[in-house]
Amino acid sequence: TDIVAVIKNDLITFPATLTYDTLRFADFEDFPETAEPVWILGTEYSALTDKDEIFADVTSRLWFTYRRNFSPIGGTGPTSDNGWGCMLRCGQMIFAQALICRHLGREWRWVNRKQQRDEYYNILNAFLDKKDSYYSIHQIAQMGVGEGKSIGQWYGPNTVAQVLKKLTFFDNWSMLAVHVAMDNTVIIDDIRGLCSRSQAPCAGAAAAAEAFPNMDFQRPFNGYPSGANSSDDMLPWKPLVLLIPLRLGLSEINEAYIKTLKHCFMLPQSLGVIGGKPNSAHYFIGYIGEELIYLDPHTTQPVVEPLEDFLIQDESFHCQHPPCRMRISDLDPSIAVGFFCSTEEDFNDWCNRMRKISQDKDALLMFELMEHQTSRFPDVHCLTPDFTDSERLERFFDSEDEDFEILSF
Amino acid sequence: MYRSHRAQRFKHAKSAASRKAEAAFIRDKYPQKIPVIVERYPGELYLPFLDKAKFLVPQEMTMCQFVTIIRDRLALSSSQTFYLLVKNRSLVNMCATMCELDQDYKDSDGFLYMTYASQEMFGSYWSRFVSVPGKTRRWEPCGVATQFPGTIADLV
Repeated sequence: TDIVAVIKNDLITFPATLTYDTLRFADFEDFPETAEPVWILGTEYSALTDKDEIFADVTSRLWFTYRRNFSPIGGTGPTSDNGWGCMLRCGQMIFAQALICRHLGREWRWVNRKQQRDEYYNILNAFLDKKDSYYSIHQIAQMGVGEGKSIGQWYGPNTVAQVLKKLTFFDNWSMLAVHVAMDNTVIIDDIRGLCSRSQAPCAGAAAAAEAFPNMDFQRPFNGYPSGANSSDDMLPWKPLVLLIPLRLGLSEINEAYIKTLKHCFMLPQSLGVIGGKPNSAHYFIGYIGEELIYLDPHTTQPVVEPLEDFLIQDESFHCQHPPCRMRISDLDPSIAVGFFCSTEEDFNDWCNRMRKISQDKDALLMFELMEHQTSRFPDVHCLTPDFTDSERLERFFDSEDEDFEILSF
Repeated sequence: MYRSHRAQRFKHAKSAASRKAEAAFIRDKYPQKIPVIVERYPGELYLPFLDKAKFLVPQEMTMCQFVTIIRDRLALSSSQTFYLLVKNRSLVNMCATMCELDQDYKDSDGFLYMTYASQEMFGSYWSRFVSVPGKTRRWEPCGVATQFPGTIADLV
């Protein structure tokens, strides 16, 4: 049969691609017949009556999977990301969704074998597996070195968020403000400052060149076709990509978070969630009942080279089978939640919606929204441990253990 | 299910009675401070260990200030993840004081237990056996081959 042929073919040339990926194709089942709503990236559907719309929506997302036979990363590195690139691919997917919202809109739909809008090809081109594409696996893996990850090492949700944030410095077509909110805290002032700062189009790249002196900044253009320049360089508010890395438990997700997590997929600003099951990263785009709906990067496809005129054979970048599902309670606790706010009003709306969610007493908050960074960080040097004689503890009650460290203001 | 015993070695190294006595002694001696046990999550692979697990923290110190101190001790950069969890939940309210946390989460033995962790990394076991020269502990083969779908002959 075909699947055996595929496996055989893989085995001959790429033994490492023989994982359950290839076999998983048998697992796809359609959505259950249920009256419970389906939420996909802020849009509500009925599993009973909207099957075609759901499928069109899911298929329109850019689906990035393992690829093989791309040019070696860094000149001599791996030519496939099979086995290690799944979180990098999920980072590409959530970021591609941000670019779709930015340039095409949430309502845009992909149609197979049809000429798409130019912006679509610009976006897809930025993710192709070659070194000069903006958000290619090459760029992400190499930029990760600055985050302490050698090429081919596994990433977490925060790693890929930090790397994508740096890579946007060079993207003067999209003019995005990317904020990665640390310590479970979103500080509204920080975001306002980031988005409203008026910046000359190239200031970002100049700042980046300063920040990363070892990077190759000699590229003649931004990785997009030369026509792709921002027509709105002087936006009063830069479109915001907000990524929030979280840990919702130690070994398993604390189920008290599930309600709040579902809320994230119901907001119109939703970009979904990157995370996974232990060891396997997924891009979560929605939920139905107690199941998450996701795009899975664990399929190894051959690399796609762009044709002339920046046209791209794009079929393999769209998931054309029913999307995968898994129980929410099986989610690994390490995730990053993403949101896209195209305007200041959109961001205010997001804040209001988050405040409303935080008033729900049954839902455990995943992160906190704060107006200002008021005296959050004390002068650490004032807080050095206090080891004066009077405060020093007697050891008699605890001869085997280390003493307490006493913190004082 | 949250397996609390895995995260609380201090708790398991001593009897409840001796922990109770120790907490009572220290709370009596330092009524303005909260005895806090901060331990590294046993599954943690990336964050360093703290050289001390036992802290006496001023009641009015905020969560944010405490996190800043621990982050500083571990020499973490601002872009590295660090989560302090109590009873399997991330402490979200950075304005909360130690006194408030103590009221909400104090253990029956009188200590306030916290566990710190970063984020998990994602990749497949299979990649341990392929060409990539990784240096992390994650790449060590440890009998995971049984998780793979049999031999090539089984499949073809």
